[in-house]
Formats: sequence, structure tokens, C-alpha cells
Amino acid sequence: MDFFSSMRVSASGLDAQTQRMNTISSNIANAETTRAADGSKTPYKRKDPVMAATTDRESFGEILANQMDENVQGVMVQEIAEDTRPPRMVYNPAHPDATPEGYVAMPHVNPVEEMANMISAQRSYEANVTAMGSAKQMAQKALEIGR
Amino acid sequence: MDGFDPIIGALNTSLNLRLTNQNVAAANVANADTPGYKAKKMDFELALRDALAIGDRLQVEGDAVGHIVHQPTDAVEPVIYDDPNGIESLDGNTVDRAKEMAAMAENQILYDASVEMLKKKVAMLKYAITEGGGNR
Repeated sequence: MDFFSSMRVSASGLDAQTQRMNTISSNIANAETTRAADGSKTPYKRKDPVMAATTDRESFGEILANQMDENVQGVMVQEIAEDTRPPRMVYNPAHPDATPEGYVAMPHVNPVEEMANMISAQRSYEANVTAMGSAKQMAQKALEIGR
Repeated sequence: MDGFDPIIGALNTSLNLRLTNQNVAAANVANADTPGYKAKKMDFELALRDALAIGDRLQVEGDAVGHIVHQPTDAVEPVIYDDPNGIESLDGNTVDRAKEMAAMAENQILYDASVEMLKKKVAMLKYAITEGGGNR
């Protein structure tokens, strides 16, 4: 239990939120993607990171030292889940990927949903930065003892 | 440190517990988006009281030399538990970000206060061991 375990936990939070941000960017960028990279006509499936709490253990020494640390858990992105909702069918007969009936399968990306997600990710990121700054200030304050 | 002044030992314990509290809050903030994660809580006052109670038991046992049983005050492991008052969101998470940030700010201020007191204690010790601080 030291200042650095607090900072590592916050760092894992920053990392997870960054990955979340990346998937959101990917979802927005691919909002109109109707094909996969190999050219097959499968629309983009929106991605969602699934987070899981992990016990912060970096080295053998820490495992020995931090027996009680199962309560201080970092976070990791365990998997990037694909949205299971069916693609949005848009009527657009002129589109090269349209079905004979004139419908195009579009990714199920909702810009409002992505924006809300983005704000949430940003707030979480900021909260982790504040937590890390707090630990840093405490550590610096502790260095003043005996000065 | 306890040999000098029991207050120094108490402040030391307080700093350790404040650090644990900070770690718990940081873990909660990091896991604010983890489905099913339950916010953790540490009862600082209770933990400090337990720790200081151990300090009180640091008395001389018997009268033989070396019978002062030294048990460091930070030997007490603070109890960390799932916050029973947390409100569960749709994904089963009970972290309240605002509450955690407030707890962290409070914790940091009180940590700084303990450090200031410790600095004063050390300054007083220095003053005493330099016989009033004058250059002779």
C-alpha cells in the first residue's frame, strides 16, 4: 500500500477510458460503413468496451506486500463487445450495396448515444486525472515532513 | 518513533490510513464504469481508533529488561467493505463519482493537516535537540 498503487489504479482507469474513447471514435467514424475490409457486404457492428475490475499486482514483491489489496482494484477493458442489434435497413435503391428490394443494411450507430457515451468517458477520464493528482499532492506533502 | 512522543505515532498511523483511504477512493473512481462493481468504503475513524487502541496496549509488561512489547500502531489492517448505502445503477455498479471526489478532496486536506502537525512535532524535536536552536 503506497502512493504508487493509487497512481497505478488511476492509470489503469485512464487507460480504460482511453480505450473506450477509441471505440466511440471508431463507432462514429464507421456510422455509414456498409462493407467490411475484405469487401464483403456486412455492415460495421458498433463496439462497446466491457470493463472488469482487476487486482493491481505488478511484481512478486507487491504480491507479498499487498495481501489486503484485493479491495483496491484497478480496471481493465476485458473485451470489446459487438452490438447485437440488427443493422438499420435504409431505403436507398441507388446505393451499390442495396438489396434487390432497394434496402441498404447500415450500422446501428446512434450519434446521440455515442455523444452521451463520449461525455461520460471524458468525465470518467477527468475524475481519474484528479484522483492521480490528489495522490501526487499527498506524496509531495509527505516529502515535506522533517524539512 | 513512538519512543519520542505518542502523538507522532498516532499521526503516522493517521497518514497511513489516509493513504489507504485515498487508494480505496481511486479504485472506486477507476471502476466507475465497471459493471457489477460495488463501491468500497473504509471507516477511517474506526480504523484509527483500533490502531490507537493497540498503541495503548504498548505498555511495559512485567519489569524485566526488554519487556516493552513493541507492536507498531499500523499493525491494524483497516476494514474495507462494500458500501451498503450505494445506489445501484442499471449495470449493478454502486460508485457515486461526486461522492468519491468529495471524499478524496476531504481526505487530501486532512492528510495535509496531519503532515503539518507532524512537521510541527519534528520541528519541536529539532528545537529541543539543538538546545533552543541557537548556534553556539
